[in-house]
Amino acid sequence: MTNTEKLKDLVVDVFLIDPKEFRVDLKREQIETWDSLGVVSLAVGVQETFGQHFTQDEAIGITGIPDVIKVLEARGISFDA
Amino acid sequence: MRSPNIRDLAWLKTVPLSAAVLRASSSVRARVSAELPLPVVSSCSDIPAGAVTLIAAGGGSLMDEAKHFRARHRPALNLVLMPSIWGSGAEASPIVALNRGGAKEIAIGGEFLPDTVIYWPELLATIPPARARRACGDAWSHALEAFLSPLASDTLRAELAALIGEMLSLPLAADPRWFQASARACALQASASVGLVHGIAHALEHPLRARYPEQEWGHARLCSVFLLPVMNLNRAASPKWTDLARRYNIDEQAVWTVLQRLFEPEALAAALPLLNENWMKILRDPCTRTNGALVRARHLEEIALQAAA
Repeated sequence: MTNTEKLKDLVVDVFLIDPKEFRVDLKREQIETWDSLGVVSLAVGVQETFGQHFTQDEAIGITGIPDVIKVLEARGISFDA
Repeated sequence: MRSPNIRDLAWLKTVPLSAAVLRASSSVRARVSAELPLPVVSSCSDIPAGAVTLIAAGGGSLMDEAKHFRARHRPALNLVLMPSIWGSGAEASPIVALNRGGAKEIAIGGEFLPDTVIYWPELLATIPPARARRACGDAWSHALEAFLSPLASDTLRAELAALIGEMLSLPLAADPRWFQASARACALQASASVGLVHGIAHALEHPLRARYPEQEWGHARLCSVFLLPVMNLNRAASPKWTDLARRYNIDEQAVWTVLQRLFEPEALAAALPLLNENWMKILRDPCTRTNGALVRARHLEEIALQAAA
């Protein structure tokens, strides 16, 4: 499973969206179920899936899937298109 | 946030109680009325306008109803809570969980804390052993889910680890020390949130009571029944529990022994159809979303397998 596929599974499970709705450029406002607890669940899932913790600043700055990818890429995790 | 005064029955009997009314659950009403001969109201909305003090004696739901009523309708009322059983810790918590049309509505605020809490250990004498054990499960679910919550700070986890150590020394039976332990567990979880056990309890309590009216399906039993399957799920999903238990010197084997003693496999099997029906609702519950491990749609199957095991 590629990292993009892992991220897709994670986002689908966290936000309970249809897998067909997933795109790597999804923003928070495009995910109806992304509320104030969204980043908390996402952080737990990222830790389990990629073994990486968000810092508090990183968590605050996440406004969509591109930000998640950016944080993980900065830690050496690559995402193929 | 102010803390309520902790007193006992002897103290309460020395206080002038003119203009006080009593709201008590049926299980303790006669006993409490014998000690405190006060006008009894059958619901908070029946409290007379001139009442100055409300004494609410009963379980978590009754106490939460009184807390909510005082905060929203009669803020000048002096509120005295007398828990009839431990577990919920509602008497020490700024959280209220209200039954609204079959769903739980949660509200949080310092205005919900009572003025005084009366612990009356003699009330424990008539609690059946199964109910006493389930009340312990309620307190255990607060402590363990708060400990694992992603919102828990290091300081809070240290306090919870100390509490878990103390709870391991208590019997899963009627013991007055559970009052303070469960009150602490509840107060600590109010700062950290809880997890999947509570998401399940919020979604299933009402439908289980409707389907099995002859059985005692309350919050405490749901916590007891689902705590082992959920902790197994947490342990399998990530190393978080094992790592944190080691870091905070929690005896993992001793905790699992408690969870196994609380577990009721037949009750889990009976609840499974409703768990299945309500799973999406459970996944959306705010408590589920602060579970120690990410709860995924496929985890329903893993919980179901534990009933078979």
